[in-house]
Amino acid sequence: MPKPAPPSAPPADHDLVGRAAQGDQQAISTLYDRYGGVLYAVAYRVVGQRADAEDVVIEAFAQAWRDAIRFEATRGSVAGWLTMIARSRALDVVRARSRRDRITASAAADQPQRSPAMGDWRADPSDSYDHAERQQQVQAALQTLSPPQRQAIELAFFEGLSQSEIAERLKEPLGTIKTRVRLGMQKLRDSLRPFFFERGP
Amino acid sequence: MSHPDQGSPRDLAAAYALGALGPEETRDFEAFLAGSPETQREVAEFRDVAALLALGEPARAAGADLRNRVLARVSEEQSRRIPRSPSGSSGFRTPTAVWGALAATILAVVGLGAAILSLRGDLARLNQDLAERQLQLEAREATLNAILEPGVELYQLTSSGDPNPGIQLFWDRKRNSAIINGFRLKPVPEGKAYQLWFIKDGKPVPSVTFKPEPTGHARVEQVPVPTDGKVSAAAITVEPAGGSPQPTSPILLVGPLQKS
Repeated sequence: MPKPAPPSAPPADHDLVGRAAQGDQQAISTLYDRYGGVLYAVAYRVVGQRADAEDVVIEAFAQAWRDAIRFEATRGSVAGWLTMIARSRALDVVRARSRRDRITASAAADQPQRSPAMGDWRADPSDSYDHAERQQQVQAALQTLSPPQRQAIELAFFEGLSQSEIAERLKEPLGTIKTRVRLGMQKLRDSLRPFFFERGP
Repeated sequence: MSHPDQGSPRDLAAAYALGALGPEETRDFEAFLAGSPETQREVAEFRDVAALLALGEPARAAGADLRNRVLARVSEEQSRRIPRSPSGSSGFRTPTAVWGALAATILAVVGLGAAILSLRGDLARLNQDLAERQLQLEAREATLNAILEPGVELYQLTSSGDPNPGIQLFWDRKRNSAIINGFRLKPVPEGKAYQLWFIKDGKPVPSVTFKPEPTGHARVEQVPVPTDGKVSAAAITVEPAGGSPQPTSPILLVGPLQKS
């Protein structure tokens, strides 16, 4: 089970975003230690190569720095916010790449590397932000989805397709795709709720 | 609050969190979302699910210097926040300045490709920001119009001990609907939320739950007001985030809903 942050623990995520909005670069540094690994995983999954994934992470944190002042804690976790930024920037890269006729993509495709644990990202001495257990649970939760549910969700999140585009690509009725996305996500939510990220006040 | 039936906009919360709605669907859903704290909470949960999806993949290694590159990029952003010095502004240029300008031009040409890519990204982000701000503006205008409707009555919910926090309740009697606007509200503990109660025929009737923003503000719209009885007051307590059928904690704010 995830460990709750102890009372004397490092600052809460939303406090870090607040400090970043005030110009505190150390706050971004701490957020990187906590979530750099998650953002890199998202970026790599979308763009499929290391150099671009790293650029995405850099741009995502730069955007988080610029947009920190507009972050609304009531709308979700900092981790979720950062992840959506990284996903958007990663999809931008993929779209730009396809416009460039995929020249860069074919030249620089990386081989996946064996796992140096997510823990390698942690400079924080506390283990509150160790994602290893989350990772195991996510992999287990994904196994509980039907293959079509998982496919629909992954096409939406990692390839940036709308439900209509997924239906078109898979040649399935739109209603079927909507149902797969909704039921699949509900199933994941129910399985993963104990592993959700820290929320604001 | 009751759950909408199948086919309601709320069913799109998961797809919205995944970014899987088309532009029109997104606009419509966000209009609905602005008035539904429950759906906002649901979207936040689905966003976490989406963030966790990436962890379903085997972990991969980034370059060891990525952390430093991220921080260098943020420093660069920081320096952009600092206004330019007078020497970088207009005016006659000395020969040294001309050479400097040439060097800068060469650097600019080298970096042009990257800049174009970056500008495309910036443009997309600006468009997105603009669309979001437009939606916020429309939502605020709709709220203002609702408050200014003839027949809408304003009531104040206040705290007996501490005069600091407050809630304004705009009651549209024609539509049996209210807007609540809170300010200087303290944060609630994890897993808790403020809950509104209407006192009808002397008994508390549960209504919406909500959490304040870090600024202490909270606004909830389209709050149904009970109709079949005499609603005499409204009150606020802190309850579990999902809401409670009966108050389980002391009243924090209260106010009469009758004109004196």
